[in-house]
Amino acid sequence: LTLVLLDTNAYLRLAKRVKPLLGVPFGQIPYELTVLKDVELEVQRSPRLQQKFPWFNQADLMEERSARQIRLKSQEKLDLENATSLLQGIVAQQASDFIKNGRSAPSPVDCRVLAFAMLRSAIVVTDDLGMHLLAELTGLNIWHGHELLKKMLSAKLITNDLVRELFEALDNNGDLPQTWRRVKHSEFLKVFGKAAAH
Amino acid sequence: MHNVINSLAVKNALRQLGWSQAELATRLSESPQVVSHWLKGDNFPRPDKLLRLGVALKLNFEQLVSSPAVQPVVAFRAKANTKTTQAHIQKAQAMGNWLRHLVPFLSPRRHLRTELTLSSPSYQSFQDAAQQVRQKLKLDALSPLDYASLIAEFKDNDAVLVPVLWGEQEKHKNALHLLLPDLAVTFVYLNLDTYAADFKFWMAHELAHVYTPKLAGTEAGEDFADAFASALLYPAARAAVFYVTDLQRCLSKTQQVIEVLVSEAQRYDVSLYTVYKQVQDYAQAQSLPLLEIHEAALHAARVQQRGAMICQTLFGEQPPTALQLITVAKTTFRSEFFEAMGKLIQSHGTAAGFVQQVLDIGLIDAKNVHTQLLVEASF
Repeated sequence: LTLVLLDTNAYLRLAKRVKPLLGVPFGQIPYELTVLKDVELEVQRSPRLQQKFPWFNQADLMEERSARQIRLKSQEKLDLENATSLLQGIVAQQASDFIKNGRSAPSPVDCRVLAFAMLRSAIVVTDDLGMHLLAELTGLNIWHGHELLKKMLSAKLITNDLVRELFEALDNNGDLPQTWRRVKHSEFLKVFGKAAAH
Repeated sequence: MHNVINSLAVKNALRQLGWSQAELATRLSESPQVVSHWLKGDNFPRPDKLLRLGVALKLNFEQLVSSPAVQPVVAFRAKANTKTTQAHIQKAQAMGNWLRHLVPFLSPRRHLRTELTLSSPSYQSFQDAAQQVRQKLKLDALSPLDYASLIAEFKDNDAVLVPVLWGEQEKHKNALHLLLPDLAVTFVYLNLDTYAADFKFWMAHELAHVYTPKLAGTEAGEDFADAFASALLYPAARAAVFYVTDLQRCLSKTQQVIEVLVSEAQRYDVSLYTVYKQVQDYAQAQSLPLLEIHEAALHAARVQQRGAMICQTLFGEQPPTALQLITVAKTTFRSEFFEAMGKLIQSHGTAAGFVQQVLDIGLIDAKNVHTQLLVEASF
């Protein structure tokens, strides 16, 4: 079983519509999705996020997140701190690469997610291009949100209709990442067909 | 000058783990020669190897890497009853390092910073320092200090003001001073979710840090900044007149003393506590009877006197839009911060996460600021 970690944005893009989302094995590997406690903290600390995503505190979703929370032993916590610090240091060393071409530098929480993924041989799902660059530099496994969606679709965990609904809802909210938009008519050809000629 | 591996830390870690250098190389899928070059400082590992090296040896970045980089100097104006931790300092230093990228987009620095040197911390030395600055601002010994003069003084000293909305309770700090010593630029963050009387004091406090870069980030620097701010906003000359003419006749009547203090604080547009503290310090220095007011009574009067929140005065009751915040920064605080950030975002294609980290705000607010800066930069 390969653990797949969703960062906050990836979780917020999927959790309202894909139910159940966490802890369901899928695919041949198989994969299982989870979130770190940081996602919970980030949303609970932000009144603006709670206002924008009121469904986050629905009982069924809270229960699902709580059931999938990963508890760390004390040595693991120390290893996680060290790995997080190393990733932050790497970001600082190559700072100028992280603030160009649609990227921003991974935050301490982002580094923690990647560090956790390294220690647990997990895959991180995020649409943050800075995190993708850091994962690329350090050889860590990372997917864009649309790559996860494709895998879930192939594993029949979600339907074409749901993919369509997700793209539409994100687009309407002004939250459809450029990376999703780019692959809409290639990776999801069967769902959306060919792009209209301009 | 570049980063090198801290070979001593590596050798100690190897000893603790009972590994040889060759064994370490095998674990990292590297040749012993490559590892040897890292330890001699001839070469530096690529990011993937650096990460694996640190994880294998259980070392964090600071332990594993010796860096010649100059760290930003941090000074917090922490909220009452909050403790500044190492994590707070590291986070602020990280913010400071991101701010480096804005500096090329600021107008050229003047490098004409006023620097105050403090012989020894005493009532008189604090008053002298404040008086020196009041003279520079062409203020006589008794006049109140207005916001415009304070703001101009930041600008004249190459300090960039960064007005932020950090909420009344959410963060541990109300103001943050970040000095980049190698670039001689200071960024001063001011939380607008603050009561008017306190806000002016914090501005004066932050100005003290600008004048004393060598003390910034130290306890002595904080003590000086507090004493200087009080003396600058409410000068000793006025405290003397006020004590003799208004207070002396009602020293034993607590309620009356508080009423006169409130009225004096309003007159100078400062906190009641600033006036109280200055009067007490003056009385002590002159061996005069001190004011005898219970802390609770003073606090109650202070709460009543503190006025509206600065953000309400600037924006009304509703939270401001990104455009309003950016406009206030530029016009009221004469800050080129957002303009510089807009230029950086446009020229580098920087994402909203940068705004989030540099302003220490939530992602939704950061996206709004980012979008607005892109709109402005396109004009």
